[in-house]
Amino acid sequence: MMDRHVGEALRSETVLALDGPAKVTGTARYTFDLAFPGMLHAKILRSPHAHARIRRIDTARAEALPGVVCVVTGADAARLPDPTYGVFIRDQPVLAIDKVRHVGDSVAAVAAIDEATAFRALALIEVEYEVLPALMDPEDALAVGAPLLFETPSPGIAVPVGAGSTSAKEPRPNVLCEYRYRRGDVDAALAAAAHVFTDTFRFSRINHFLLEPYVNVARIEGGKVELWSCNQDPFIVRNDIARIFGLAPHRVRVHTTFVGGGFGGKSYCKMEPLAVLLAMRARAPVRLCLSMDEGLLTLTKHAAVLRLTTGVAADGTLLARRSAIRLDGGAYADASTVTAVKVAYRISGAYRWQALDSHAEVVRTTTVPAGSFRGFGGTQASYASESQIDMIARRLGIDPYDFRKRNLLALGEAYAPGDSAMDSDLAAGLDEVATRLGYRGRRSGQGRGMGMAIGLKDAGGTGNHGQALVKIIDSGDVIVCAGTVEIGQGTTTALCRVAAETIGVPLARVAYAAIDTDATPLNNGTHVSDGIAVTGLAVARAAADARAQVLAFAAEQLGCPAGELAFDDGAVLQGNYRHPLRALVARHYGNAGFEFIGKGAVKVAFDKEAPLNSRNFFWLPSWAGAEVEVDLETGRIHVHRLVVGGDAGRVINPLACRGQVEGGGVQAYGQALFEELRYAGEDPENAAPLAYRVPLATDLPDVLDSFVAEHAAGPGPFKAKGLGEGGMLAVAAAIANAVEDATGARVAQIPLTPERVLEALARAADERTSPSLGCAPGPQSPP
Amino acid sequence: MSKNVALAFMLNGRRRDLETPANRILADFLREEAGLLGCKIGCDQAACGACTVLIDGVPSAACTTFLFEVDETEVTTIEGLTPADGSLHPIQQAFLVAGGFQCGFCTPGMVLSAKALLDRVPTPDEATIRDWLASNICRCTGYAMIIDAIKLAAHTYPTRGAR
Repeated sequence: MMDRHVGEALRSETVLALDGPAKVTGTARYTFDLAFPGMLHAKILRSPHAHARIRRIDTARAEALPGVVCVVTGADAARLPDPTYGVFIRDQPVLAIDKVRHVGDSVAAVAAIDEATAFRALALIEVEYEVLPALMDPEDALAVGAPLLFETPSPGIAVPVGAGSTSAKEPRPNVLCEYRYRRGDVDAALAAAAHVFTDTFRFSRINHFLLEPYVNVARIEGGKVELWSCNQDPFIVRNDIARIFGLAPHRVRVHTTFVGGGFGGKSYCKMEPLAVLLAMRARAPVRLCLSMDEGLLTLTKHAAVLRLTTGVAADGTLLARRSAIRLDGGAYADASTVTAVKVAYRISGAYRWQALDSHAEVVRTTTVPAGSFRGFGGTQASYASESQIDMIARRLGIDPYDFRKRNLLALGEAYAPGDSAMDSDLAAGLDEVATRLGYRGRRSGQGRGMGMAIGLKDAGGTGNHGQALVKIIDSGDVIVCAGTVEIGQGTTTALCRVAAETIGVPLARVAYAAIDTDATPLNNGTHVSDGIAVTGLAVARAAADARAQVLAFAAEQLGCPAGELAFDDGAVLQGNYRHPLRALVARHYGNAGFEFIGKGAVKVAFDKEAPLNSRNFFWLPSWAGAEVEVDLETGRIHVHRLVVGGDAGRVINPLACRGQVEGGGVQAYGQALFEELRYAGEDPENAAPLAYRVPLATDLPDVLDSFVAEHAAGPGPFKAKGLGEGGMLAVAAAIANAVEDATGARVAQIPLTPERVLEALARAADERTSPSLGCAPGPQSPP
Repeated sequence: MSKNVALAFMLNGRRRDLETPANRILADFLREEAGLLGCKIGCDQAACGACTVLIDGVPSAACTTFLFEVDETEVTTIEGLTPADGSLHPIQQAFLVAGGFQCGFCTPGMVLSAKALLDRVPTPDEATIRDWLASNICRCTGYAMIIDAIKLAAHTYPTRGAR
């Protein structure tokens, strides 16, 4: 019998989601579904002002309303040991203290016997505001004499970075943070370049539009905080709650069940501390469930302006790029600090450069906070970079496909000095898209065209780590204990398959344990596409450990060397003999049984020589192609075919991989064409489910064509790597590039609305009649 | 408080006679009184379709339907679709096999919309499926695998006469 090890072949098996039967029958239970006897319901009073000082809050009438149990305000938050949260910079209070900073900011909260009573109580809270000037975009916030959103420095630190990088916290008024990455001499390289192009791109603000609302249930018993949370990051939440309330971590216990949509929107601390504060004050379990309208006011993807100056040699070789990136961070830090680092580091894309100077800053504005959203930083960077790469190729009269191929990083080539090597074949993916699109020999112009793009991001986290336990029960069945949350991405089934393959049991014999921070081994959370590579490796190691324990035990029982034994589907194999594990265990332990508990851990080392302070664990490429038809009279874009692809390294859960690529692709498709959270003055004008437009089935391109490559170079078990964020990276640029291919007009702002397309068409027509020297864009055929 | 009204309807094949406040919402009744938690409330404004149930076979948003409105009707929730023996309905099986779900929050509504569609159009074409699914938002899948699931179900789900 063969031992099964990491890196070996996977047994042929149809892999269906282990959580599938519960989900298709509606029996899957979410935090949303949870109820306790005596549970109260909480609602939040939200600011009607973008920026205002809170002069006075009177809660007396609300507290007097029958059915109201408690009302909390910023004064209660201010008394907490450490009342703010955020990633690296902690500037967001549990409830607004002194000031509100965006329409929808949390001012007070009520816990009552039911939601209707809580709503009525909110209407009875009197708040006196001193309205301050709003800072609706970075220009407002950076204007000379603009009021400060934060009058004093916020707690926290700059993101630690490595060689070639600098990072600063609150470097200028209303600037949350900045990051800069430099290598080579950009000035010299640009001066020596045959062509230098500067282009500016605008990236839109979108919301996650999670179907399961943000929901938490908090209960305090015997001095211990228990929290059922829809959060993707149970251990981050546990540690934040402990810090904010001055509790030891073992006094905080976070449970996580199925999560109804995450995409980063439910990562990091959100309103979990408020649920705990209410439960403490009410002395009863409290359910704090936001409406979808409130979800739209909770977090967005960063709107951004990206200005790229790129130098190219006469032969079409990319030389250098200077990037100035401004992210609209909204009112609070959330995950903006890391987003700034990622957007600037990723702006060089899938290519080889002599010199780079990449700068990103996050500006504080009086809008909904921006934070994690599927590939954060990467989506903005890929959109701008891949748009400009295409524009440059066309200006030089080179087909964009050839231009990309000439400059792509090769498999095994380092992304940057000090960083890890490319572990996907970027050119192979591009060729796959070209083939599926029928790109070669295409006819473009007269409103029809094709475009492609390659997105690329570092993935798996920076210096990430994860732990796992795998238990082999004497029945031969297996339980995987790990902190990766099932948010629909299918990783828990994949982790179970990793254990099944490593141990040698069918997938049906493996279950994923409920997540409970008291019992579950820690990981850093469910983000950065790290489930299969980081936690997966920990699971593989734990499974191998558990299996080795079984064999060692059996060897002792059978009086033979462990090397002569194998484990297969619940039985120990010794030559031609099959010893059921249960029988061996019963002989030694009796009938109560036994569990062999294997431990596994992974730590990606920090490394000061690497630009991000850790050599990137794996690279996450994303390939996209679009075939479009543009109505030249209305500006409306019709996408005939959208191709989206990713590299799983090795596919562990095939349906989930396809679903991730397509799901991300369609999210990006909606953002590219129409989806946007818009402001009208100080108000988010479409922050309501009926007004906020996400893709429907009727919005799909005629053909949605996806592929999942297996380049077999990932660092995870069986050479797998994550791909969850990837689908989102390249689609917007591919569509914008196809529009230029079709019309000769460039829309350098998403969404690509008909109005913007018409403007671009008019501009392109003007430029054709009076061409500006050297860089008139237009449909080009290969030379 | 709202005035009480009396009503009678079939819920997942069983008759329910009850008195209810006139302002009672169907979704709240299903979740809080009938224990049918498969009816998910996403937007609570009939925009997302997560709370879809069938009222006399018609997909309806339970979050914006008053309970009294189902008087004299047959209401089917996802729990009513699932066979009592613990097996899966052919449409559920098709969603499972085709991977037509991710987070699962929209899935009960999607499955019920699919049933309503297949009960009317046993072998729908792609455009018809897309039209029907436009009442249900899925933020995870990008819809293609849901559409595949419905096409698969069209092959495995007995034709109308046999149901």
